[in-house]
Amino acid sequence: MPRFQLNPLTRRKIRRFRSIRRGWWSLVIFTFMMVAALAAELWVNDRALVVRYQENFYFPTYGAPLPGTTFGLDYAYETDYRDLSRRFAAAGEGNWVLMPPVPYGPYSTDLRDDLFPPFAPDWHQRHFFGTDTVGRDVLARLVYGFRIAIFFSLGLLVVNYAIGVSLGCAMGYFGGRFDLFFQRLIEIWSNVPFLYVIIIISSIAVPNFWILVLIMAIFGWIGITWTMRTVTYKERERDYVLAARVLGASHGRIILRHILPNTVAVIVTYAPFSVSSGIVALTSLDYLGFGLPPPTPSWGELLAQGWTYMSAWWIVASVVGAMVVTLVAVTFIGEAVREALDPKLYTTYE
Amino acid sequence: MKNGAVMPINPKSTKDPDFKAILIFFLIALSLLITACDGDPSADPDRRAETETAKVAASPARRPRQTLPEGIVWQTNDTDPVFASPEAVRGGTLHEALLSFPLTFRTVGPDSNSSFRSAILDNQLGLVGIHPNTEKIIPELASHWAFDDDRRTMYFKLDKRARWSDGHPVTADDFAYTLDFMRSEHIVAPWYNDYYSREIERVIIYDDHTLAVVAARPVPDLHLRIAIAPTPEHFYGQLGDDFVMAYNWKIVPNTGAYQISDFEKGRRVRFKRKANWWAEDRRYFKHRFNVDTVVFTVVRDFNLMWEYFKKRRLDTFALNLPAYWHVKSKTDVIEKGYVERIWFFNDTQQSAQGLWLNLDREIFADRRVRYAFAHAMNIEKVIDQVLRGDFYRLEHGFMGYGDYSNPDIRARRFDLGKVEALMTDAGWQRGTDGIWARGDQRFAVEVTYSLEEHTARLVVLREEARKAGIELELRRLDATAAYKKVLEKKHDVAWMGWSTSLRPQYWEHFHSANAHKPQTNNITNTDDPQMDRLIDAYRNSLDAGQRAALSRQIQEKIHEIGAFVPTFMVPYVRQAYWRWWCLPDPAGTRHTGDLFDPFSSATGGLFWYDAERRTETEAAMKGDHGFGPVTRIDDTYKMPSLR
Repeated sequence: MPRFQLNPLTRRKIRRFRSIRRGWWSLVIFTFMMVAALAAELWVNDRALVVRYQENFYFPTYGAPLPGTTFGLDYAYETDYRDLSRRFAAAGEGNWVLMPPVPYGPYSTDLRDDLFPPFAPDWHQRHFFGTDTVGRDVLARLVYGFRIAIFFSLGLLVVNYAIGVSLGCAMGYFGGRFDLFFQRLIEIWSNVPFLYVIIIISSIAVPNFWILVLIMAIFGWIGITWTMRTVTYKERERDYVLAARVLGASHGRIILRHILPNTVAVIVTYAPFSVSSGIVALTSLDYLGFGLPPPTPSWGELLAQGWTYMSAWWIVASVVGAMVVTLVAVTFIGEAVREALDPKLYTTYE
Repeated sequence: MKNGAVMPINPKSTKDPDFKAILIFFLIALSLLITACDGDPSADPDRRAETETAKVAASPARRPRQTLPEGIVWQTNDTDPVFASPEAVRGGTLHEALLSFPLTFRTVGPDSNSSFRSAILDNQLGLVGIHPNTEKIIPELASHWAFDDDRRTMYFKLDKRARWSDGHPVTADDFAYTLDFMRSEHIVAPWYNDYYSREIERVIIYDDHTLAVVAARPVPDLHLRIAIAPTPEHFYGQLGDDFVMAYNWKIVPNTGAYQISDFEKGRRVRFKRKANWWAEDRRYFKHRFNVDTVVFTVVRDFNLMWEYFKKRRLDTFALNLPAYWHVKSKTDVIEKGYVERIWFFNDTQQSAQGLWLNLDREIFADRRVRYAFAHAMNIEKVIDQVLRGDFYRLEHGFMGYGDYSNPDIRARRFDLGKVEALMTDAGWQRGTDGIWARGDQRFAVEVTYSLEEHTARLVVLREEARKAGIELELRRLDATAAYKKVLEKKHDVAWMGWSTSLRPQYWEHFHSANAHKPQTNNITNTDDPQMDRLIDAYRNSLDAGQRAALSRQIQEKIHEIGAFVPTFMVPYVRQAYWRWWCLPDPAGTRHTGDLFDPFSSATGGLFWYDAERRTETEAAMKGDHGFGPVTRIDDTYKMPSLR
């Protein structure tokens, strides 16, 4: 069985990356956050993890909703598991419900008689970060909002880089009129105030996740294209490319097998910063009310609520805290990656 | 929405000299910057308003005088109760806020339809007004009036003392000129061109102070239609193509108590009370319009207005939203009683707010499905748990119209059992996700709305509707985009309200003449022959009693069709005001919508400023001792059905 072997250079880069403690731990934390967000249904949810009812086990977390009648309740809509848990406990017939640690979903409103949201953080009610102005759990909305934001910015990254890398490479490699034409196009395009355009578009038609990714990608590919063009230009003139050409390699082969692998360092270095700018862009659009349609959980929407209800400090504190942690983590990862990939590592200037 | 306005009453200079130096430096730098950028009109210093003298027109050709017909029975009204307080005193400055600066001071033509227009129009009196409590006719510019038997002509005798703000007397010619003006193509206002051509036939002049206005056809409530306002002919003269540009920032002479004295574009507008206003001793104007100056300052954010208000830069603030009344009010200035609050119930026409179903959508073609939709809307829960029980359930679209409202209609309440029965009856079944389905159709509808503040309400409705097996997809659009979408009938369900008028208007909203075509107000596409007959009868009837009966019948029919799910009404105003503002008792009138409206000729200007209380309050604030919170509840005019 052939062992997967990493290039010794790459291994050195990874070692180098791991030795930058700040970046390494940021990556660990960030990965943990991603995994936690992916598995959000298991720990932040208003559906129970396990229900034991009349000798049967139910696992309602994933799948179609179970109507209340399943558990002998008198309604046909989805079971309210928090309520069910209380009923089972009161009845004491050996039935039980195991709720996730945060027993609220991103959409479920926890309204009470004679009290009005926003509710302050409350350990007993398991609103660890309090509720927003509609009575929805802030932590639940943060987690699900994070999941959307991070996948949004990863999606945006993929689309942007797909366009930017291919176009930038082509511009740098082929040069000439092709390059000139796209240079002018980019110059014109980059002068369009993109936030306004997005606001105009999304005020006419409410965008869904993918449409928003596409709209933002329309303006987002410019930066990486510019960089890739420059890098490719430089690589194109290197001897190994000329050698490949002399050997009769096709354009495709030269670009894909020779130039691209040598520019990967640039792409990888830029990626974390693009992720954080993607998160910021989505958050600001949501803050302004032009992002994903309500009631999609979103950090920007929480931020807007926090500004309107300054006295409910837990809203603004949670979302600002979460943003700081995420953005700092991503930035640290980015810095560490850049340092790890820096070819001038052992160069010293006297 | 009006909220008090602005400007530091006491710009407190900071004691810290370093800070001051920095501030001055900063200001100098800023002013250099501004000079460098020039050309910005908002940077102009306060410009004195170019007022009345702007244009003295060539005196127009005298219009022909006719002979007054015999046998006119003149009427007036000097017996209805007054509603201002004799304790009111003159003086003070009221600071109010504007969310944006008006694009023009014109009241007709492009860009003129801003919320600020009412501040200008309210100072332009009409021939007669409506008593805000009895709804009877009261004098404004005309002291006497009479009806002709043809039911489309009204005669008016002008108050001989009526004056324009530039001193010219108001004459019958000014009313004849209103027609010339409003019909002119130079004003670029097709709606007014059309209205003043089709609804009002002519103005007949008998002498300088006697005239008649003739409507195009006999109409019910004739006085509402033809009590037109005069237009100063001596100011406008002959209109030209340049009207729209030339009059953007001109201050037009008016007949009300206040006139714009100066303004700074983008920042503020100041109104001053006229020194010897001609109507100040008239029965229904006495003890009103008491403040000397009203300043509107631009504050571009609602939250910021609230902060400005707490800092005394605005005098009043609307607390209608529950969050402001219950949560944000728990603030120092209110707890200590420097700012007082009032909850004033009125009994006025309620906006038809709710969910408007588009009947052209296949899903809503079945009446049972519409009824089920109504029964799936848990409005009561929203009222109790989101709106703190402060709002009231709107039972149908036309409440508060007196005799014209049907008190027997009750909106459909949240009822899962009824939804179940209706949907099953219509042949639908619950899908695996709990949502009703029939064939490949799923009961998921899009709700179009525009106000961010309404998200909280809709989120709760959505959660409750899921229980009933209906999925609401919320679509918040920018106000203009939402309005356009709805008027083009591209919505499934529109979440919106309509403005009100003195009598219910049905033709626009429910007549088939307006169904299935874009840009009409029949956003439900209601198309029902029986409804058409009722509406036609209502529009053609001249008999008040019959009209009221028809109106009630139409409301029943609307309820039966079920394309409108009424939601909330707010039959009151809640406001906060600094302690030195005084209100009469009762604080307003049956139709008051803003207790601190400075200008409205019907309900405005009842409050006054008490300098002594101000000194007292400011001393208390300095010494940091309070008066205790004051919340006044005035239910003199509370709707009988809510008691």
